[in-house]
Amino acid sequence: MDEVATKITDILKKHMKEPRDDIALDTALTDLKIESLDLAMIVFDIEDGFGIEIPYNANEDVEDFKTVGSVVERVKSLIAAKGTSAASA
Amino acid sequence: MAQKKTGRRVVVTGLGVVTPVGTTVPEFWDSMKAGKSGVSELGGFPLEDLKILIAAQIKNFDHKARLKHFKRDRIISLADRYSWFAAVAADEAVKMSGLELPLTDPYRSACIIGSGAGGLVTFETAYRDLFIEKKKATHPLTLLRIIGSSAAAHVGIEFGIKGPTFATCSACSTASHAIGLARDYIRDGVVDIAIAGASESVINYGTMKAWQALHVLSPEGCFPFAKKRNGTVLGEGAGILVLESYEHAKARGATILAELCGFGMASDSQDMVKPTVEGPSVAMQQALDDAGISTSQIDYLNAHGTATADNDINETRAIKNVFKEHAEKLAISSTKSMHGHPLGAGGGIEAVACIKAMQDNFVPPTIGLDEPGEGCDLDYIPNVGREKQVTYTMSNSFAFGGLNAVLVFGPPPA
Repeated sequence: MDEVATKITDILKKHMKEPRDDIALDTALTDLKIESLDLAMIVFDIEDGFGIEIPYNANEDVEDFKTVGSVVERVKSLIAAKGTSAASA
Repeated sequence: MAQKKTGRRVVVTGLGVVTPVGTTVPEFWDSMKAGKSGVSELGGFPLEDLKILIAAQIKNFDHKARLKHFKRDRIISLADRYSWFAAVAADEAVKMSGLELPLTDPYRSACIIGSGAGGLVTFETAYRDLFIEKKKATHPLTLLRIIGSSAAAHVGIEFGIKGPTFATCSACSTASHAIGLARDYIRDGVVDIAIAGASESVINYGTMKAWQALHVLSPEGCFPFAKKRNGTVLGEGAGILVLESYEHAKARGATILAELCGFGMASDSQDMVKPTVEGPSVAMQQALDDAGISTSQIDYLNAHGTATADNDINETRAIKNVFKEHAEKLAISSTKSMHGHPLGAGGGIEAVACIKAMQDNFVPPTIGLDEPGEGCDLDYIPNVGREKQVTYTMSNSFAFGGLNAVLVFGPPPA
């Protein structure tokens, strides 16, 4: 796992009732017993940690949050977009 | 004059408190008996330009240790401090009551836990983050922490209460209104059991500034009924009772601590800060009529006694108005002199003081009362508590806006 993935895994572990060490990129978030309130806190920590904003609505099933890997990809693309917009500004 | 209301008898089977002078009932009551003051130097956050530098704060409160056994409520330790206090006090009260969980009929139970202001400390932190730290978002639990019903909801979840669950809000009468309403629900047959009281935790920079601007805080201490009194001292905490119908308590062989036999509520409907004699008098008389007892039967009155110039003299006048010649013989004290003014939680904590006074036949003192103030000429149990037969007690709560609520407790039904 790269730096972004490791950081995200650490945030996930922080919010799990029973943290586990076998989290991989293809692990589904539902397998980690993460509920909607946990997800809100995870998103908050990710936003704070990476200086990005993740648009999502807790009322909708979000494709980006299916697996650990999909969260990592989404965060990476938001970091890249932030870099582009900063460069063009 | 009100008629004695009819309905089921309601008893108290559990007590719980969190206060600056004790975070369990035994510790709290030992402090009350010893006349211990909970007022100390203000701390825990940057004081900046504050001028009032004292408060009755609960220091070194280990919420994690006190809440770690909670099972149903998964996020109680992430809640606002006011919900921690409510949860800890409710836990003590439920354990004392010996109620078996899960409840046989959860829809026949109520959880009415009020708060004067809800999660103000969370509010300030969130706004500092947004407006000063320029953060893009508040913590995701901010809303759930702030809402004034979160203490009731947390406690309701943990103890599996499925009947009426909500908060009351009437400033310094919040707890007494919650306890009174719960009493009425049981009396009227809506539920058989209730967890009722209030919790408060608002001591932060913004709250201190707001109270300072109202010019009713003392820079020195909380000295109810004293000549030197110059304002109240903010406190914090929770006071919670377990109430049951007498039949319910008897059927399960519970230890009955007291009967909640009288409840009165009346509003001044006149002014936000200047109290009337009439409103508190009517509330006291209603509570006595509801209990079906005479003024001479009250052995101890736990006064609202905030140590402001207006309140103490007004309350003294109202007591004389209701109790007439018995006022002179009545043992009265303001325990706020020790635990400070916990705002909405006051009536809950003071209800516990009343019931302990009955159990122990001991009335707690008003400390700091070296010389009585002008017009404060009753027996306020100055400085040292007193051994005394205590069969019936009254607890007064009078709030900003003229919102008055009075409770009367009596001995367990024979």
